Amino acid sequence: MYPRSFVVNMTLPKNLQEIVDDFASMSREEKLETLIAYAESMPDLPERFQEERAKMEAVPECMTPVFLIGEKDSNGAIVFYLDIPKQSPTVRGLASILTNGLNGCSLEQILSVPADFYLPMNLQEAVSQQRLNGFMGVLAHMKQVAVKLAAG
Amino acid sequence: MSYAHPEYLVDTEWVAQHKDDPTVRILESDEDPLLYAIGHIPGAAQVDWFSTLQHPLRRDFLTKEQFEEVASKLGITNDTTVVFYGDKSNWFACYALWLFQYYGHQNVRIMNGGRAKWEQENRPLIKDVPSFSATSYKAKEADKSIRAFRDDVFKQIDAKKPLVDVRSPKEYSGELLHMPNYPQEGATRGGHIPGAASIPWAQAVNEADSTFKTAEELKTLYEGKNIKPDGEIIAYCRIGERSSLTWFVLKYLLGYPTVKNYDGSWTEWGNLVDAPIEK
Repeated sequence: MYPRSFVVNMTLPKNLQEIVDDFASMSREEKLETLIAYAESMPDLPERFQEERAKMEAVPECMTPVFLIGEKDSNGAIVFYLDIPKQSPTVRGLASILTNGLNGCSLEQILSVPADFYLPMNLQEAVSQQRLNGFMGVLAHMKQVAVKLAAG
Repeated sequence: MSYAHPEYLVDTEWVAQHKDDPTVRILESDEDPLLYAIGHIPGAAQVDWFSTLQHPLRRDFLTKEQFEEVASKLGITNDTTVVFYGDKSNWFACYALWLFQYYGHQNVRIMNGGRAKWEQENRPLIKDVPSFSATSYKAKEADKSIRAFRDDVFKQIDAKKPLVDVRSPKEYSGELLHMPNYPQEGATRGGHIPGAASIPWAQAVNEADSTFKTAEELKTLYEGKNIKPDGEIIAYCRIGERSSLTWFVLKYLLGYPTVKNYDGSWTEWGNLVDAPIEK
């Protein structure tokens, strides 16, 4: 089960901390531009996951379908892959922040990220709270995927 | 049978031909606020439902004075033809159009098919953001005849007048509260307003190119669910964006005289203490 320490451990993984610090110092316009850059830099889903992708259930219409899958690399670290429509750059950008910040981390590091880690980024001046709820949803989903990978 | 007010629709070709027309302002309004920056119709400006059109503090739209400021910055005069388009079959384009009408701007259009159709036709999308000479726009007092507040909804229920729930079937039935991995977006209870007919907004548009269905198809759809021209209708969804599309369809494509959009929608009703709910 989850290590209890994640509740009190507020140290973010290094890459994620750097992204949070970057955003904290940006103007609203810079935040939007940076989110677009993250959205555009998201790599296409590797071919080996396409079969799994095809099994994904449709999501209700006002949500963006977020396909997320993870695997362990040769060092046992966790790497996430995403597939999100290009017509949803905001969701792509936010999810891409998470993969950039968390790929290569251990299960413990991923579980240690608090759900409100993004508050210092001051994203609420750029995107609506509903988007940020979705952002937290993607993080929660990543934690579940990571737990399963670690167990398997 | 044709649309009751076909003048409220323009097609993509009309927009392409009027992109430099000084009497026309093209506005993109999307669900995803970053889409405009990635590429938009040449000459189009952006209005974002969240950062442009919402009141900065309260859960409400801009005040009349704030709306005047936004319209003036966009170089809109009281005579400008304002054309809206956007993603997701024009949900938020209809939302923005509705708000412009709320403040009395009559000369409004929807580009039929929205962004999706424009892209399908391989028409150009550019990143240049246009600038306009500011005007001094004068808004009218808010037109409450097109906006329902929660008290209007209580009265509607008591009077057994028609309500249209335009959300997806699972939102209507209340099942959506149990979606895995996605925190609910702001409602503590699931279900629908008692007596509301379920007519998902998407049934009013063609999936292939996001254009509106024909007048015959729309008449069959709504009248088949007992939503008739003589009813005083209130439409709602989750935050009022999808229902503004239904509002547009009922008011302008079918010509129903009395239609209101309840923008509080489920994120208000599903949190409101003592409000009746059906599942």
